[in-house]
Amino acid sequence: MGTPPDPSLALCARDVRKSFQIGGREIEVLHGAHLELKCGERLCLMGASGAGKSTFLHVLGLLEEPTEGEVWLQGKSAWTLSMADRAALRNRHIGFVFQAYYLLPDLSALENVVLPVRIAHSYGSVRFNKSRHEAEAAELLTKFGLGERLRHRPNQLSGGERQRVAVARALILGPEILIADEPTGNLDTGTGERVLDLILDEQRERALSLLLVTHDQRLSRRCDRTLIMEDGQIQADSTVVIPQ
Amino acid sequence: MYRRFLSWRYLLRRPINLIGVTGITVGVGALIMIISIMSGFLEESRQTVRGSLADVVVQPTILPRSDGTFVPREAEPLLEALDADPRVAAASPHLTWGAMVTQGGWDAAQTEHRIKDPDRSDLVFAQLVGVDVAREFQATDLRRALEHESEFGSRVDDVEHPFARPASYDGEEPWAWIVVGEQLAQIHDLHKGSVVNLVTAMPDSLTGKAYPSNRKYLVAGTFRTGENEIDASRIYMDRWELSDFLSDQRQYTQVLVKLVDYAAVRDTIEADLGRELHDLGLLNSARSGEVRTWESYRRSLLGAIENERALMGVMLGLIILVAAFTVFAILMMMVTEKRRDIGILTALGATRRSILSIFLMIGMWNALLGSTLGAILGVLGAWRIDQIERWLSSTFHVQIFDRTVYLFDHIPAQVSPLIVVSTVIGALFFTALFSSIPAWLASRTHPIDALRAE
Repeated sequence: MGTPPDPSLALCARDVRKSFQIGGREIEVLHGAHLELKCGERLCLMGASGAGKSTFLHVLGLLEEPTEGEVWLQGKSAWTLSMADRAALRNRHIGFVFQAYYLLPDLSALENVVLPVRIAHSYGSVRFNKSRHEAEAAELLTKFGLGERLRHRPNQLSGGERQRVAVARALILGPEILIADEPTGNLDTGTGERVLDLILDEQRERALSLLLVTHDQRLSRRCDRTLIMEDGQIQADSTVVIPQ
Repeated sequence: MYRRFLSWRYLLRRPINLIGVTGITVGVGALIMIISIMSGFLEESRQTVRGSLADVVVQPTILPRSDGTFVPREAEPLLEALDADPRVAAASPHLTWGAMVTQGGWDAAQTEHRIKDPDRSDLVFAQLVGVDVAREFQATDLRRALEHESEFGSRVDDVEHPFARPASYDGEEPWAWIVVGEQLAQIHDLHKGSVVNLVTAMPDSLTGKAYPSNRKYLVAGTFRTGENEIDASRIYMDRWELSDFLSDQRQYTQVLVKLVDYAAVRDTIEADLGRELHDLGLLNSARSGEVRTWESYRRSLLGAIENERALMGVMLGLIILVAAFTVFAILMMMVTEKRRDIGILTALGATRRSILSIFLMIGMWNALLGSTLGAILGVLGAWRIDQIERWLSSTFHVQIFDRTVYLFDHIPAQVSPLIVVSTVIGALFFTALFSSIPAWLASRTHPIDALRAE
């Protein structure tokens, strides 16, 4: 295990490699990728399809175990932790927003938002108070313009509404890091803009560290830094500081 | 917390789970109901079989003992020993012998006809039982059998003295009086005052020949024990009269013993009493089965019902197994259907254990709901089975339970809390077992593969 990274970093990945066994052949998708996400920073990760950015994102989000390398989060080398500790870390410190929303179809918008709190409660780290947490979730959804849609199920909501529910779910436990994978990819331009505004507003307000994966250059312009991923590696000269 | 919440939600949102719940309900309900009814049959049969027997039967073997001595041919030494035993409430000597029932006049032709008929020839044979009435009343249910009102036959005039000449008899015949089983009376068309000729034979151990003996008797009345075998073949008479009929070669063949607390000593009494009586020189051997409880005597009959009960239990247990397998199939389907949910939950921080718990809980909700409903329906069904059967019979005009076949006029059922609890536990166990496979598969689902699932 390497030395812990600078405490000012919310997330740090070092020399991450990932291989898959496909048809009896080992194919390496990530070839030693590095990434440093500072606290409160908006970081954009761009790259062509097949560059390995989704795999990298899954490794950073503690969903896919790297073949080699380290991911540091909260001062801990995440992939050396037990599965349960990693799940707890994912639950409390990382918020996910996916392109396909990934809401549970059997739950209402409000129940989807409260779900991470219920899961956190199972670790004993959060005392579950149904009415309080539901009130918090309702407040967040109301803030996102969904006050009238609390009891609606995902299939009764539009794409933009679903993504707003997904953002609320990602933020309900107050994580330090928000990972957004093509959050506007399934939305039309106008709706996508509004969802992105919402994400960026919340990021600023909560001083979140945002890792945004996108194809869209317009989105990257609204981030502090953009990293280009190519052939399973972050290109050394790709760091672009974009003035606000 | 969320595992219970989610599993319950998945259960309610998927009506297919109703199949699993229904299957378990039917399995548990049927098992409890059938086992309760079989237990009821067993208990009723026990009581019926028990009717003519005391708790213990002591039947010494008339062979030389190992020390060269013989057990006494008189019953009195054995009775004295038993009367002195604190475990014994009453003891009654029996002299049991076989005989053929024949009649005179036109009835003699009937007897011949029965002997020639391959299907009915056994009906002419009877079991003669000589008893001491006072002792017999204390040790067995003979009094109740004599007092029994019946459609055919006639009660003896004086129950306390059943072998005395009935006050209502105005005939002149001088023979001794006997009491015959109700069905035996019906077969031979015997009534109070009918004359029967009993024919028997006595083996002679010296010559190796059997010497016939026959004597006429008068019917004083009938008895009904409720056990077909006895009611169709037994004839009661005074023990000394029977001994005289047998040329005084036997005075008793066994002693029926009623215990103070049978349940307390049922497992040990055969060995203990056998050894004690043998030591007193009253039994041939301590271990040859000369002392037997009534349950040992009727083991084959009771064993058959118990076997049937066990067999029904196994067969109906298969319904629960099939229901548990249904839950397995439903859960396998749900795991496939909920693949993406599994990925989402993992991304939100759920552990493998939590995912396993969620699907295991769905199975357990099925089992809990099904077995609770099944237990309620099974118990209610067992309690009300008689009314249910009567309603079904009258509604569909089909006789489901023929009351003339059995010795009881209702369908007996005995609900045992142990059976209910063990059936419910069995259903929960098998469902848990069958649910664990899909639940385990769900927990092993890779979150990224799950999220990509369509």
